[in-house]
Amino acid sequence: MDEDKELIEQTLKGEREAFEMIIRKYQQPLLNYIGRMVGERQLALDFTQEVFIKTYSSLHSYKPQYKFRAWLFKIASNFIIDYWRKKKIDAFSIDQYQGRDYNRPSLQIPDDEPSLVRKLEISQLRERIERALEKIPAYLRELFVWRHINEFSYEEIAEIKGLPVGTIKNRVFQAKELIRHVLEGKE
Amino acid sequence: MTCLRIDQIYLYLEKEFSPSENKKIEEHLASCLKCKNALEERRILLQASESLTLWETPPDFIRQVMAQIFPEKVTARSWFITMAVGFSSIILMFLAFFLLSGQNLARLLINLSFSLLDLVRNISILFVKLFKLATLLVKIIVQFSRFLIEGFARLTTILSPEIQILLITLTLILSASLLYGMRRKFMTGEKA
Repeated sequence: MDEDKELIEQTLKGEREAFEMIIRKYQQPLLNYIGRMVGERQLALDFTQEVFIKTYSSLHSYKPQYKFRAWLFKIASNFIIDYWRKKKIDAFSIDQYQGRDYNRPSLQIPDDEPSLVRKLEISQLRERIERALEKIPAYLRELFVWRHINEFSYEEIAEIKGLPVGTIKNRVFQAKELIRHVLEGKE
Repeated sequence: MTCLRIDQIYLYLEKEFSPSENKKIEEHLASCLKCKNALEERRILLQASESLTLWETPPDFIRQVMAQIFPEKVTARSWFITMAVGFSSIILMFLAFFLLSGQNLARLLINLSFSLLDLVRNISILFVKLFKLATLLVKIIVQFSRFLIEGFARLTTILSPEIQILLITLTLILSASLLYGMRRKFMTGEKA
């Protein structure tokens, strides 16, 4: 992470190559996050580009006490929320889903739990997870992608979302169990 | 230890527990098949989730972003060079055409542009006339249909329902016989 701060300092001093290195480092993680959120490759590429431009233009307001990666992904998350707001898609409203049972998966292991996951080849399972991801609420999908595709720590996700670590752990758990339910055809 | 909760299984798989907590969980797993199966199920799910196909950026992605952030400024020098190259290419083209064909390229281009201009003018006039004709036709059709509708409306108020039915039946019979007659004529024409 210190490397990021050094690169930011150099960029602010006018060294273009430093920002080029930031893009090189984060282009794929950002594209994979944005891609899973919007679903279309071209749109995801355009948004990734826009996020880098936005990041560059607000680099002077970056505070070094925060992790750069968390700051960058917060910009990306806000960008997607703005896009959905403009398109009048209420994908991030948590209240909308709280009343529904599938977001409160059981904590207890059921006695007759089906073992669908073990019956599938790993490639088939990956394909089904991708499709299931599209079906789960966006606010849970975002956390799942950060945790299991971008491989962020729970603490880092909590920093991005400004929520307690426990809440994040609980929501990522909800996302995973919801995916399992979709795979079993329950949702 | 009682059976594990599902959220505990995930946190155990993600190595989020302390060594002492891990030890307790492992002791329980050794003796509980239900928890062991549930753990195995989620281990596979996590493995697949963490190895999903990654989206790749195109090779010129960085260049594209950098071009957006730092657009190339056109300097006076590069502007002058572009203009000079452009002018010399045009002069060279005129000269080469003159040497090869003995004709003046400029005059040829002027003549061609005049012909094109004439063509565009004629097509525009044709379109305007066609548009006027079409609007006139629409007006005639609208007037005629209004006249027909009004005529029918008056007839229905004057005639009794029985006579109206009789008239409709007669019109239908007349139309059918007309069509039949036309068909026969055409068929004889074909045979002849």
